[in-house]
Amino acid sequence: MAGGFVAASGALGSLWGLVTGAGTGGNARKRARWIKTVDRPTLAEKTADYKRFSGNDMFALYRPLKAQRDGAGSFEAEQASKTKRLAAWMKERKPGFSQPDQQLSEGAWTVMRSARPGTGLLSWTRAPRRTPAEPGAQRYTASPEEMANTVKAAARLYSARLVGIAPMNEGYVNLQVPRENEKQNDKEIVFDDVDVPAVTDTKFVIPRKMKWVVAIAIPMDLDLLSRTPTPLGDAASALGYSHSAFVVSSLAVFIRGLGYEAIPCVNDTAQSIPFAIDAGIGELSRLNKLVTPEFGPAVRLCKVFTDLPMACDKPVDFGLVEFCKTCKKCAEACPSRALSFDNEPSFKTKGPWNNPGHKTWFEDSYKCFEYWQKSGSACGVCLASCPYTKGDQAWMHEAVKATASIAPEADGVFRIMDNAFCYGKQHDPEKWWTKHSSSGRRG
Amino acid sequence: MTNGVDTFTITIRKRPWWFWALAGLWILVEVLLLQTALASADEGEVRAATISWIAAAILAAVGAMVWFRRGRSQKHGESNGQGEDASTSA
Repeated sequence: MAGGFVAASGALGSLWGLVTGAGTGGNARKRARWIKTVDRPTLAEKTADYKRFSGNDMFALYRPLKAQRDGAGSFEAEQASKTKRLAAWMKERKPGFSQPDQQLSEGAWTVMRSARPGTGLLSWTRAPRRTPAEPGAQRYTASPEEMANTVKAAARLYSARLVGIAPMNEGYVNLQVPRENEKQNDKEIVFDDVDVPAVTDTKFVIPRKMKWVVAIAIPMDLDLLSRTPTPLGDAASALGYSHSAFVVSSLAVFIRGLGYEAIPCVNDTAQSIPFAIDAGIGELSRLNKLVTPEFGPAVRLCKVFTDLPMACDKPVDFGLVEFCKTCKKCAEACPSRALSFDNEPSFKTKGPWNNPGHKTWFEDSYKCFEYWQKSGSACGVCLASCPYTKGDQAWMHEAVKATASIAPEADGVFRIMDNAFCYGKQHDPEKWWTKHSSSGRRG
Repeated sequence: MTNGVDTFTITIRKRPWWFWALAGLWILVEVLLLQTALASADEGEVRAATISWIAAAILAAVGAMVWFRRGRSQKHGESNGQGEDASTSA
């Protein structure tokens, strides 16, 4: 009987693959049939107000805003209190905050922390060890479709799970790279008719000929993400970012080895989300972040700018915007109530951290970051609670996503089922260690 | 026994087409629930696994009940001289 079940499962699995048109999980090159390509992104409306973003995200804005709202010195006092709290939790071995938990996250940040825009891993000019000129080779040429496939294959080898090609849009590139400390200056990002990218003391120069962007998504470890909001859960983000830095830096060297220019970027330099949307990796959501059909919002995004001509991908529509209108699970789960509860997306921004002029569900990032300070973690509850954040083993998940893409009338039922099955709730941080240690015990 | 010869009655039951369609659907849903239960347990989603196991058990019980009741009602129908099925005796 067990053998019969296994055989039936295997047969049904193959049949399911035939029906959906996809390979297993998110590693397949071919995407499921229910992910439709469209000519314009689902939330594409822009007004004349839409301009290049300053580059001052919440990490740059929080301190001055905190001082403005709660008085001079309030940020420093909050930081001191947070440090003391984290030390106390570490000492009392609070689940998710113990020394191994915190250091697991620190270790996962290692690669990303050594990646700075324009230098080191993210160098804009580091040549491969053997350039095409050295063995007397010409610059590699092929049709745009073949080039796109070649670059995507390389990106996947370097552990990108979703890869798409988008046309360059200067409007998505930040105006500046914010300084990292008081001793530095903000550096302007400019486009110019030059042959090679350049990083000087005052600016980053992107050649105008770099008209293609390779957008990449790296899935986050769901087992870690489910332990959020704790430093243990933060390791999921940290690992994703470190992988991103590795992928884009390797891909940039690969592209340069073919005889072209490449600028690797993780979160820096430009907005990853709109490039990923244009490249067909996912749709914009109530989170005001990208949601992919395969991994939900539990991804880290990165990109490589290049002058290597490639065939561009198209945006996708898998019914997400309609689902987000009904669902609101992320907004309800958010501990700081930072996400929008509006039924419809709008142009109304919530603060200087938002870039005006496009339609979305804008969020209050100040409240979000304030919770990060209070919780001693980078939160991520919204990512974990999204109904699209699911593993790839249960067929039910794909069946629900596929149905939601064609029958938005069922979205409300799926939302109720998602709650009934307790998806998105925090998993016990202690159990991560017992699950992953060989003895089954902590320590 | 008739004239010293053993007799046997063979009943050939022809089930209606919708019976097979329902049976197929039952198997499909049962496999889906069992797959969800096993996969959810593997993904660490305990409550989802529990609900799936319970649903699979209920569906199995319902299927078994329908099967046995149908079998008993058909036997009862034959002993009363009723029956939709062909039968032959040797």
